[in-house]
Amino acid sequence: MQREEKQLEASLDALLSQVADLKNSLGSFIYKLENEYDRLTWPSVLDSFALLSGQLNTLNKVLKHEKTPLFRNQVIIPLVLSPDRDEDLMRQTEGRVPVFSHEVVPDHLRTKPDPEVEEQEKQLTTDAARIGADAAQKQIQSLNKMCSNLLEKINKEERESESGGLRPNKQTFNPADTNALVAAVAFGKGLSNWRPSGSSGPSQPGQPGAGTVLAGASGLQQVQMAGAPSQQQPMLSGVQMAQAGQPGKMPSGIKTNIKSASMHPYQRL
Amino acid sequence: MEAPPVTMMPVTGGTINMMEYLLQGSVLDHSLESLIHRLRGLCDNMEPETFVDHEMVFLLKGQQASPFVLRARRSLDRTGAPWHLRYLGQPEMGDKNRHALVRNCVDIATSENLTDFLMEMGFRMDHEFVARGHLFRKGIMKIVVYKVFRILVPGNTENTEALSLSYLVELSVVAPAGQDVVSDDMRNFAEQLKPLVHLEKIDPKRLM
Repeated sequence: MQREEKQLEASLDALLSQVADLKNSLGSFIYKLENEYDRLTWPSVLDSFALLSGQLNTLNKVLKHEKTPLFRNQVIIPLVLSPDRDEDLMRQTEGRVPVFSHEVVPDHLRTKPDPEVEEQEKQLTTDAARIGADAAQKQIQSLNKMCSNLLEKINKEERESESGGLRPNKQTFNPADTNALVAAVAFGKGLSNWRPSGSSGPSQPGQPGAGTVLAGASGLQQVQMAGAPSQQQPMLSGVQMAQAGQPGKMPSGIKTNIKSASMHPYQRL
Repeated sequence: MEAPPVTMMPVTGGTINMMEYLLQGSVLDHSLESLIHRLRGLCDNMEPETFVDHEMVFLLKGQQASPFVLRARRSLDRTGAPWHLRYLGQPEMGDKNRHALVRNCVDIATSENLTDFLMEMGFRMDHEFVARGHLFRKGIMKIVVYKVFRILVPGNTENTEALSLSYLVELSVVAPAGQDVVSDDMRNFAEQLKPLVHLEKIDPKRLM
């Protein structure tokens, strides 16, 4: 007997604390809705709902706990009803129930639902019984199937939008820029001042360019005629071959000459 | 200047033909920081190296349609560093399995009178630009992230303007010819930089 009393009290305390938490979170949610409705975001509302659902869950767990005696077996009977203010009651209920009187008791100690609600429930139960077991089973199955289809669709959408949503936000490179930069570094597209169109290398530079090349060539020939040292001979002859227009030999000639100049300055290739 | 593909030529001269394996991509300015952090984590541990280089590209026009191209590069922020002369051949096409752009590459350091020398040889400057960015290294791989600046007044490297709102990212390896396994390593490294940067082999001829 005493053990059951203790259990009852312990479970009542637990229940009380759970209900208090629930009340607090409900209160803050209502406050948020009433005062900050213009700044409220959907995720924040979802958070509050999640909090409430979590607390209801724990409440359910406490009630289902094995150590909780069946409250159904307990009966609350009001012993004294008085229209006077009860300070104790006020303190316990945080000022919400000042008087333990005839109006308050039916609401607070109610065990059956409202008469209207009771009517509706009775209606629903008669409807359900009328359909018959088979039809009811079929309806249950179709409902389950539709729910699972919907869940699948939502999951797929979520997965696809995750990857798609990131891309426009986090564009870290621009392929057009890549091409422009590579073209600029490879052959000077967009860099030359005297070729604003940025056309490719082999195109004609125009008169000034050709003139300087010729001037350079004639300068070279003069230097050679003046008797350049033998070291420079291979290189000059390489360039002269260019002027003479021997296409096949020029590229290898200059390349190997530069290589030979860097590696073995006195050795002819 | 179409020499036959270097990988097919026998090695007869005094030098080994070095090939440059290249992968390129770009990153927008606002994502540069995240890329730098990722590279600092992935690459060899060294002080972050920045550089400001001035590159000039010289052409020698012959009787053929395509001129001979040499690239001269000098450092604008390191005094006393030698000039760098580089020849890059045509990219070798053919092997679709090769994941990187491969081209013949000859590098040499020179003294400061390089431009005069080239002008005397008959080269003419085609274009120039300033490159400003960061350098990272991982083993033999070199990763360069730089912004290309256009030089508005020829010869004046102070007066520059950025070419685009992106940084160019280049992953390159200079290795002897025939070592295609290098391109596999490069591809694996490039995978680690996705989705920030997509490094791929970009054929410059396609962009002409």
